[in-house]
Amino acid sequence: MPATDYQASFLGRISLRRNQVIAMDGNHEQEDLELFSKHVSERFTELLSPPDDVVFDTLLSISWLRKLLDVFLCCEAEFKAVLMMGDDDHPFQISKPPLDRLIHEFLDRSIKALDLCNAVTNGLDSVRHYQKLAEIAASALGQKPIGDGQARRSRKALNSLLMAMSVDDKECSAVKTTERSWSFSRLAVNKDRSPGHLRQVAKKWSAAKQIQAMTWNLVPPRGAEGSGLASPVYTMSVIMVFVMWALAAAIPCQERNGLSATYFPVRKQWSWDQSITGLHEKIAEEWKEKEKKGAAGLLSEVQKMEKLVRNLMEFTDSFQFHGGTDEKAEEAADHAAELAEICKRMEEGLLPLQMKIKEVFHRIVRSRAEFLQALKQGGKSSAPPV
Amino acid sequence: MDGCQSTIPTSEGDLHVVAAAHHIVKALGATKNLSDDLRKILIDLDAHLSMITSNTDSKGGRGFLDVEERLKQAERKILSWESDPRMIWDSGPREASEYLEAVDEIQTLVDGLQGLSVHENRKQKELIHRAMSVLQMAMSRLEEELIHIVVQHRQQFDPKYMSSRSTQTYVVYDESFVSVEDEPAEETSSRNCSSDEIGEFIVDLIHADVIPDIKSIAKVMFTSNYGPEFCEAFIGVRKEALEQYFAILDTEKLSIEDVLKLEWTNMSSKMNKWTWSMKIIVRVYLASEKQLCDQVLGDFGSVSSFCFLEISKATILCLLNFGEAVAMGPHQPEKLLRLLDMYETLADLLRDIDTLFPEEAGSFVRLQFHELLESLGDSSIAAFEAFRVAISSNGSLYPFPGGGVHPLNKYVMNYIRMFPEYCNTLNLLLKSQHADVEDQVIEPDNGPNLSLSTSCPMACHLRSITSSLESNLHRKSQLYKNEALQHIFLMNNIHYMVQKVKGSELRLFFGDEWIRKHNGKFQQHAKNYERATWSSVIYFLKDDNPGSSSLSKSTFKERCKGFSIAFEEVYKTQTSWSIPDPQLREDLRISTSLKVVLAYRTFLGRNPAHIEDKCVKHTVEHVEKLLLDLFEGSPRSLRNSRRW
Repeated sequence: MPATDYQASFLGRISLRRNQVIAMDGNHEQEDLELFSKHVSERFTELLSPPDDVVFDTLLSISWLRKLLDVFLCCEAEFKAVLMMGDDDHPFQISKPPLDRLIHEFLDRSIKALDLCNAVTNGLDSVRHYQKLAEIAASALGQKPIGDGQARRSRKALNSLLMAMSVDDKECSAVKTTERSWSFSRLAVNKDRSPGHLRQVAKKWSAAKQIQAMTWNLVPPRGAEGSGLASPVYTMSVIMVFVMWALAAAIPCQERNGLSATYFPVRKQWSWDQSITGLHEKIAEEWKEKEKKGAAGLLSEVQKMEKLVRNLMEFTDSFQFHGGTDEKAEEAADHAAELAEICKRMEEGLLPLQMKIKEVFHRIVRSRAEFLQALKQGGKSSAPPV
Repeated sequence: MDGCQSTIPTSEGDLHVVAAAHHIVKALGATKNLSDDLRKILIDLDAHLSMITSNTDSKGGRGFLDVEERLKQAERKILSWESDPRMIWDSGPREASEYLEAVDEIQTLVDGLQGLSVHENRKQKELIHRAMSVLQMAMSRLEEELIHIVVQHRQQFDPKYMSSRSTQTYVVYDESFVSVEDEPAEETSSRNCSSDEIGEFIVDLIHADVIPDIKSIAKVMFTSNYGPEFCEAFIGVRKEALEQYFAILDTEKLSIEDVLKLEWTNMSSKMNKWTWSMKIIVRVYLASEKQLCDQVLGDFGSVSSFCFLEISKATILCLLNFGEAVAMGPHQPEKLLRLLDMYETLADLLRDIDTLFPEEAGSFVRLQFHELLESLGDSSIAAFEAFRVAISSNGSLYPFPGGGVHPLNKYVMNYIRMFPEYCNTLNLLLKSQHADVEDQVIEPDNGPNLSLSTSCPMACHLRSITSSLESNLHRKSQLYKNEALQHIFLMNNIHYMVQKVKGSELRLFFGDEWIRKHNGKFQQHAKNYERATWSSVIYFLKDDNPGSSSLSKSTFKERCKGFSIAFEEVYKTQTSWSIPDPQLREDLRISTSLKVVLAYRTFLGRNPAHIEDKCVKHTVEHVEKLLLDLFEGSPRSLRNSRRW
């Protein structure tokens, strides 16, 4: 992250400018901005390393993602308050250059975020499918004693599950006629049945490209801009891009190739920089690992599931030839129980996560409308009277 | 027989009882007319009793032989199909039922074996494992058969038959508001979806003949606890079918970003298509899918609604997503009717959606539906507002040539003529919107219906719209330098408005009072026109000294000349003016004629001596005839007329 490169050269100037600004108009607007920035920082720090008294959620787990989305919603509400309330003192400031341009860019980004929300919602359906297959496998292996029938039953489900995961993963790069998970059987000849499990957002749509496009014109405000309302707009943009990026990394969605290339031009100027950069680096690291291994996304439940599925596959494979030793069977039963536990967590968490994503979606839509309205009104009032 | 723990009979007497019971059960089982359930119970009991007997035998070392034999037979059946390339259900009903019988037999044996309380019996364990293994094989096979049947017997139905209107004939008033100046569109259209509602229409998505087959597979898979496998397979194929149906409807998947970039004509046709697809998908396809799920899975409790939700959720969300995108977009006035169509469609479908997804699990879908309905309502109001703003702010730099009916007027009047069809919806949406009505019409109470429609929110908003239209037209009239033309323009336009109101359902909302008032307005403009044009012309024909005899020759000549020049001037300009409505044109000509011809005739009649004079260039008849050329919109001049 080249963010650190800036630090030395800019830091001095930034603090200088800050002092000047505060001297110039040390009003409560500046306080609001700093408070906003502080809250953002606190919220993301908690996501990065929660305080001891808070239940720890694994990074990129379903519950962690729900928290991340809650953080997004909180930041967004405060962001809007800062920008809109400012109107009392500075009516229609957001409709004046250069802020109007920044807001328009922000709104363009939020449209892309909406499509991403949809892509991820589709992806959750895939995860739901994994869950159902894992449930079958877990319940078959949960029976005692394990016989050939259960072993094969579970093997079939595990096989479908791995295939579904790899299909979704491949579809991230190319949407082809992929056989569905069940079609490895005698019906595989029947190729006219097409689509894979992942529902497309649109033809040629790409999550990775969308996120990259969101960052194209995302530059930290410079000069005098940096101290005004441009700064929360930038902050909120970074939050939005980050949240969407994290969702896309966690949940299967259309075309994720190149997701790791997303680059956030953050700088030490903001107090939240460290926590977001920290999270970004952690996730990016995991993504790099993932690209080596190949998996259906970084959702921690799915990752764990995949590991267990591979272990259990091994067990059922060997079972076929040697039958199970007691020790192995014991281990498999433990794994099956773990798998069942993950399924339970998915059963409890996936729908609320999906609803939370929809909530974010609707919030973005509503805020966009409010901003457009404010821009329009501001544009009218600031126009010279005829 | 779950939960029924057998104890091993110890005494000889007990064994006799068991043997007797077994005998009775077997005899009962052979009875032909048994219900399925009863037969199942007897079979279970049979297995159970035989198990007790054989178990007792096993003490002698020859145990489970009977069971093993039965298992072997069933196993043979299952295995024989494993190497067979044919599908069982394709091979005939006998094959299928034999296969199911074999599976039933295995299941019975498994139940029986598991029901025994003998622990750590090696033979029993071996048999259970063997039976479970065959059962798994059979279940896997049944899953394939299921997919095969569901795919092979899918029924195609053509969406075109779902509606009397073919997809091609979208006759809608789709003109963009922006294009008002370029291309006035007189021809409007009927609304596309209202009249031919798609009713509840359930079709067979899978051929009815194979439903019992699918049910029998479902039954045996659920009995063997392979329900989850059945569901996943069934959901998978049905989801695909829906996806393909979606493709047949030609509903292209668009991202929100794409939708927001669509051009109006494209957008409009997509909005239409959405309205139509939404109805078919919900009323026909999903209703039928729900029925299919119930038919196949109705016996297994909530499984049916779970599967239905999984099958349909993604498609519904995708459809709703387009709606969301449209509701977000800029709310141009021309979008209004399409938005209202979408709104009404959703409002109409709410009941269906609530029936399709009644459970808690479906609340997500229901919620999204309600949210979208609300945003479409808001967008409709916004588009309505934009329509009003567009009307009052529509500006022109140049006067509209000929003074005819302005395209803006045509656009607006033809557009609002559609409104009565959306009356209920508009009233609902506009209820809370303040109508800025300048010329408030207080309608006398002419019966409850009429007064209701003239005072409903839509009526107020309609009058507010036409009043901004009128003020705009007044502004446009100021662009004419010629005062008479200003009046012609206003007369034409107000007359047009009145005609449109009178000739449509709009009259119910505008009311007689409005019509009377506006009739008065355009007639006043007609009078003003006459005064502005003709009083100066007739001035030459005025009788200065009533009562005295004829004018002197020179005065007469002068007056004649003045009249002719003025008349010809009027002729030259006003032949290029236009009164598009033939009746109105006729009326104005008659009243002009009455005035001018009468004055001319009187003038000439008072001076009979000079009539033959060359200075009388036009005869009365000639003038009368020339007046007929006015307002035809094609400029003429009286050639060879410059003789003085």
